[in-house]
Amino acid sequence: MKSLKTPVIKVLIAAALSLGAVGAGQAQTAATAPAEAPAATVAANPAPVAAPVEAPAATPATAPAAGDAAAPAADATYVPMKPTPGVGQPIDRGIDFQPQVSPIGEQAYWFNHVMLLPIITIISLFVLGLLLWVIVRYRAKANPVPSKTTHNTFIEIIWTAIPVLILAVIAVPSIRLLAAQYEPPKKDALTIKVTGYQWYWGYAYPDQGIGEYVSKMLPEDQAKAAGEPYQLAVDNRMVVPVGRQVKLIVTGADVIHSFAVPAFWTKMDAVPGRANETTFTANKVGVYYGQCSELCGVDHGYMPIAVEVLPVDKWEAWVRSKGGNPAGPVVETAAAPTEIAPAAASAALPAAKN
Amino acid sequence: MTDIAVTAPAHGHADHAHDHDHDTPGFFVRWFMSTNHKDIGTLYLIFAIVAGIVGGVLSGMMRLELAEPGVQYLGGWAEMLGGAGDEVAGKHFWNVMITAHGLIMVFFMVMPAMIGGFGNWFVPLMIGAPDMAFPRMNNISFWLTFVAFIMLVGSMFVPGGSGLGAGTGWTVYAPLSTSGSAGPAVDMAIFSLHLAGAASILGAINFITTIFNMRAPGMTLHKMPLFVWSVLVTAFLLLLALPVLAAAITMLLTDRNFGTTFYDAAGGGDPVLYQHLFWFFGHPEVYIMILPGFGIVSQIISTFSRKPVFGYLGMAYAMVAIGVVGFIVWAHHMFTVGMSVNLKMYFTAATMVIAVPTGIKIFSWIATMWGGSMSFKTPMVWSLGFIFMFTVGGVTGVVLANGGVDTALHDTYYVVAHFHYVLSLGAVFSLFAGFYYWFPKMSGRMYNEFLGQLHFWIFFIGVNVLFFPQHFLGQQGMPRRYPDYPDAYAFWHLISSYGYVIMGVGVLIFFANILWSLVAGKKAADNPWGEGATTLEWTLSSPPPFHQFNELPRIA
Amino acid sequence: MIQSLSPKAKTAGLAGILALAMTGLGFAAVPLYDLFCRVTGFGGTTQRYDAAAAAAEPEILSQTMSVRFDANVSPELPWRFYPEHPRDTVSIGARDMAIFIAENNSAAPVVGTASFNVTPTQAGKYFTKIQCFCFTEQRLEPGQQMRMPVLFFVDPAILDDPDARDVQEITLSYTFHPVDGGKKAS
Repeated sequence: MKSLKTPVIKVLIAAALSLGAVGAGQAQTAATAPAEAPAATVAANPAPVAAPVEAPAATPATAPAAGDAAAPAADATYVPMKPTPGVGQPIDRGIDFQPQVSPIGEQAYWFNHVMLLPIITIISLFVLGLLLWVIVRYRAKANPVPSKTTHNTFIEIIWTAIPVLILAVIAVPSIRLLAAQYEPPKKDALTIKVTGYQWYWGYAYPDQGIGEYVSKMLPEDQAKAAGEPYQLAVDNRMVVPVGRQVKLIVTGADVIHSFAVPAFWTKMDAVPGRANETTFTANKVGVYYGQCSELCGVDHGYMPIAVEVLPVDKWEAWVRSKGGNPAGPVVETAAAPTEIAPAAASAALPAAKN
Repeated sequence: MTDIAVTAPAHGHADHAHDHDHDTPGFFVRWFMSTNHKDIGTLYLIFAIVAGIVGGVLSGMMRLELAEPGVQYLGGWAEMLGGAGDEVAGKHFWNVMITAHGLIMVFFMVMPAMIGGFGNWFVPLMIGAPDMAFPRMNNISFWLTFVAFIMLVGSMFVPGGSGLGAGTGWTVYAPLSTSGSAGPAVDMAIFSLHLAGAASILGAINFITTIFNMRAPGMTLHKMPLFVWSVLVTAFLLLLALPVLAAAITMLLTDRNFGTTFYDAAGGGDPVLYQHLFWFFGHPEVYIMILPGFGIVSQIISTFSRKPVFGYLGMAYAMVAIGVVGFIVWAHHMFTVGMSVNLKMYFTAATMVIAVPTGIKIFSWIATMWGGSMSFKTPMVWSLGFIFMFTVGGVTGVVLANGGVDTALHDTYYVVAHFHYVLSLGAVFSLFAGFYYWFPKMSGRMYNEFLGQLHFWIFFIGVNVLFFPQHFLGQQGMPRRYPDYPDAYAFWHLISSYGYVIMGVGVLIFFANILWSLVAGKKAADNPWGEGATTLEWTLSSPPPFHQFNELPRIA
Repeated sequence: MIQSLSPKAKTAGLAGILALAMTGLGFAAVPLYDLFCRVTGFGGTTQRYDAAAAAAEPEILSQTMSVRFDANVSPELPWRFYPEHPRDTVSIGARDMAIFIAENNSAAPVVGTASFNVTPTQAGKYFTKIQCFCFTEQRLEPGQQMRMPVLFFVDPAILDDPDARDVQEITLSYTFHPVDGGKKAS
């Protein structure tokens, strides 16, 4: 079995190396970050893009940030965190949901475990009990002469009405959960742009001026060496601050992918040509894994997601190590010009606050 | 209904006497140009068994690959089938297997067996008709299905992008199925669906016409056996749902080959539109697969309880209600596609409504047995298993109906477990139940009761060991359609694979039983099930004459 | 003529017509879906300002809305494409202009066209574009950089919609695709 797996690893290593994404390995420094960025974009646009001059960032803030890379180098103390066993990942022989660390996840978990699971268990056992009862009580030996009853309006009303009531009881918290999931994100939410590619993820932090970087699965030996579960571990994680709402803008580059992190109760399809929005708030520091959840081709099973939740100061250090500005949003233009601003005027405001 | 008193001289043996002026045709004409509903039904059943073996072998290969972490066999299999033996071809072959398994089981196993097989055999018999309304069209339907199956299997041997075969999943989502899969394999698979769809639409027209126009005198709609009701509702679902699939996949074909952009955002299209169209077909399709099973189970429960079906009208109209509601819940398959909260709330509520008519059916079956005088022959045991397993699959459906909960469970093994409980333990249990119930009628010989019971218990244990742990995997977060997984999922995957082996033993016993019974089974009486079996097919000989009801029975 | 048909032919004919009608409906779903999206803002489809139809200029309110600009490029298009500013704050009802910048990095002229939507989806109905580069195809010469404006306002009616009034930030997302239809599979 092991020997059969080697070719996968080789292929993956070769692919990763050729894309320059693994070269930096785990040690991300301020110096490597900007250098890595163009490589990422080349990977993102493998088609006819020849010119590596292309900067990855959707925001002009990146260029100055890259220039300043030396300045915040002192903050570049980011070392990828080790995952906590049993948290943010499946456990051996586990049967339950992963421990939830977001308010939505806690609410949904409560709904499932206090309402849905008991109700469906009781219904199943009730039906099983009735079946066993009729099998014993009305077997031919015990009841040689069958009755001729074919109608009983009262009982028919009962078994229509009671399920309706049960469903109504389920519907209330269900609708409430949906409403909570769709509460519009707060203004201070951290926005992260997520792009699904065949077969890796790209993350960008537009307000922090962190251009898109690529997140790929770690080969088995590297994952094991890093003490992480193989097929969940990635080279560059998404990093978020603890307790702050995160707003994900999710899109797909080629085919449909789906961004999912079970521990946050989050899943959103990455559809090419359109943006989707979803949010989560992680209330516990740690590493949380997820996997692509929409069939997207050959390596559908090999584009995991890893989200690292850090205390705010450490997250800020990570942002600086990436050459970004943790204090973003970068630009606020003067509110609401009623007249159309001339194009040149708005061009004069590039990334000044960076 | 169900208490049908036949007053006309329509007894089977009487019929037999008239049979000599319609001599049975020769082998080729009889089986390749057949216009006889019973022969076509037999062809469909044989076809479904063959397709079921192919689909079942595919699932066995998948369970073998998933038995332990790592990719062990895929490359070798891909090479054996004529592809490259490298890692990419192997992982592509995985996607081909999940696609083929899904399409084969849905379109070429369950549907042909339920509607083509039992529907063809017993709808005319149960309503007292000499044959289907359009016997030649019936023949065309079968052979179209056959060609469709050959095309689908053939698609596994032509290039489909990163390897041989169509690796798009049975849902064939764009853009993976358009720009994401080069090569003719996907075109072939789509064309196969066109043919299978056309066959089913023709079959649906045939059933509707037969049931509306060819019932024996006195057989009003409200006296029809529930199996006929179930086929009637199913035929309408086919008629309304399949054309939408045909349109949707036709646009896939033009997007792939003629530069249209129905599902391509680059040209102003929307890949999500395909999902809407697919599931507008796809959800009714689920009921197409299970409703005839409801009908079969209703007949069997009534027969072996020696009691008419409880709440006949409620049972019939519950199926109509399930069919109608089935058309307005489709987007619950797309909860994570990025839809607005109002829409999600609507589809959550509408989906949960389906639990009500389904509950009516479950409780009515139990009430049919209540007060009855039950015997536990093999068909009855399968039907009892069906009721319980379908309940378990149904309640996990209620969990998944909640849009907020589905966020975590969408596209995980929980969904896989859910739909295998309603199909592999629901629809397939009802198929086995129907097969054992009608085997004496179809073949003229009794099956072996001991082997039938053994088949049930081994299969029952096997599928539960196979699919129940998949709920755990899903709750832990294991996504669908993965050839490999992190080590933490290994335990339940291994258990699941053991379950497949147990189930496989059960299926072997089934085949042994058929073969043994066909050769050496006891001769079956006209009605081997006693006074509980009141529908018209039991008034005929076993097997029935080549042409029956030359004089129409009269239903009091 | 219909009377002359046998009952079986009538039933079968009706069933066949039903099947054909459903096929037609399947194809009709394409324009109907498009219309539905444009009318209801379904899936975050934005509205297009029609000066003739608009009774009056929208009232400009004191409340503001944050608008985020998101830019994507199809992997098949050799362009760089980004918003000049990642976001902007506008008064609800007031016209605002955002600039997107596109550069052709290839050695050949390339024509692109943009797909777009807004998130959250319930804001689509209230996000009105007056003028947009996405309404037409854009041609870029080799190495050419183009500044592309989009002129929009947020409809004050958003504050009357209980589903949308709490929205604090609307993201306007574009994806540029090549026009030559290079997405064919075979």
